[in-house]
Amino acid sequence: MQHFTALVIPLIILFILSHGLFKKVAVYEEFIEGAREGFGTAVRIIPYLVAMLFAIAMFRASGAMEAIIELLTPLLSLFGIPAETLPMALIRPMTGSGSVGILAELIQTHGEDSIIVKIAATMFGSTETTLYVLAVYFGAVNITKTRYALQAGLIADLAGYLAAVVICFWFFS
Amino acid sequence: MLNKIWAGLIIISIVYAASLDITDEWTNHYDNGHIYSLDYTASSQPGFIQLDYLNTTIKAQLHSRANHSFILIATDQPLPDPWLKVAHHQPGSNKEQIQAEVITIQPQTHQLQLRLPEIHWVKIRAITQAAFDTAEFAVKLALGLAGIMALWLGLMQIAEKSGLVFSFVKLIRPLLHKLFPEIPRDHPALGSIGLNLAANVLGLGNAATPLGIKAMQHLQQLNTHKDRASNSMCMFLALNTSSVQLLPPVTLIALMGTQVSELILPIILATCCSTLAAVIAVKLYTRAGKL
Repeated sequence: MQHFTALVIPLIILFILSHGLFKKVAVYEEFIEGAREGFGTAVRIIPYLVAMLFAIAMFRASGAMEAIIELLTPLLSLFGIPAETLPMALIRPMTGSGSVGILAELIQTHGEDSIIVKIAATMFGSTETTLYVLAVYFGAVNITKTRYALQAGLIADLAGYLAAVVICFWFFS
Repeated sequence: MLNKIWAGLIIISIVYAASLDITDEWTNHYDNGHIYSLDYTASSQPGFIQLDYLNTTIKAQLHSRANHSFILIATDQPLPDPWLKVAHHQPGSNKEQIQAEVITIQPQTHQLQLRLPEIHWVKIRAITQAAFDTAEFAVKLALGLAGIMALWLGLMQIAEKSGLVFSFVKLIRPLLHKLFPEIPRDHPALGSIGLNLAANVLGLGNAATPLGIKAMQHLQQLNTHKDRASNSMCMFLALNTSSVQLLPPVTLIALMGTQVSELILPIILATCCSTLAAVIAVKLYTRAGKL
């Protein structure tokens, strides 16, 4: 499957180019025309990304997350959810690299076979870095009033977490 | 909501960090101002002495001055616990040595009294540093996107001019129309949304983001309030944040190795749940907005 994905992008490029030539498009000129926006878009994203990432970094460095985890642990054990998976659920929407770090840590302490790692990995695979995607996509078109996009994204993350817990218990125990 | 969560993250961090630091002050966690009375012996190396602290011998460099003497203690040697804390948390970037103030020194009896640097506001300084570092990193991250974005936006421009996007729109219109009822039938937005979702499903991360941005630009053309997200944008964003990826991400394969194969089905099922939740949430919010 990984070998297949290696082929996908060259094939797409080949297809777009040959189709363009076939339709008598001035491919080079059009490419430049489109690519011109690339830099401007990246620059436009900067303030959105700075705002989002610095708030998340402060939160992570303050250690407040550990306190929140401690507060929520009794609530989770009430439902039989392993509390060790909670850091993943909290960090996954905030940072991609941070959640990779948490997963690596969980693997080291509990091993790949543990239900904790399975739940965390499933959560990792089934959701995205909501706040980052939000900053980049809305930043690219200069939208600050995001209405209910964040709520919907966080609801999806919560659903992904709960689904990961239920599905992993169902599959592996 | 975004305003509250964003400000909440920052305010919680500062208040929590400050409360930890105040607790440290209260309990004098770092033994600030503590005066250590120690025996010492001269080392064979000129200028160096050996401190004797609770049966540990610590090598240090003595700088004698008329009004204030100090010693430098390298931190790459075994140090007692409170000293290690000081070494680790002292201000400034030089963590390789501790500069301790010598209060009295008696060469006849080989005794000296010293005071370690004071440590205050460890957490507050850590979060400030984190904020500055990340602000810098954010710019690098955004500029790193510029090249790959240019590449995909260039290719998309060709595909739009050649009519490829339009053919693709016709192909996936039946699929996307239910999710995005507000997009006109023949608008290229449907094409870029479809391409972004396809790239996501296949796990082509570095193609998905530029295509997603292209889709947002198309959606912005249809948006009546340019500073406010449209319903279609919220739907598109919810689909992207809930991840529609069917293959396990490359990082997960790297971390888990072959173990990942038994997680493929759970991940697909969980992804379906999170995406379904996202779609239902957006639809409910859209309906509530119309009432």
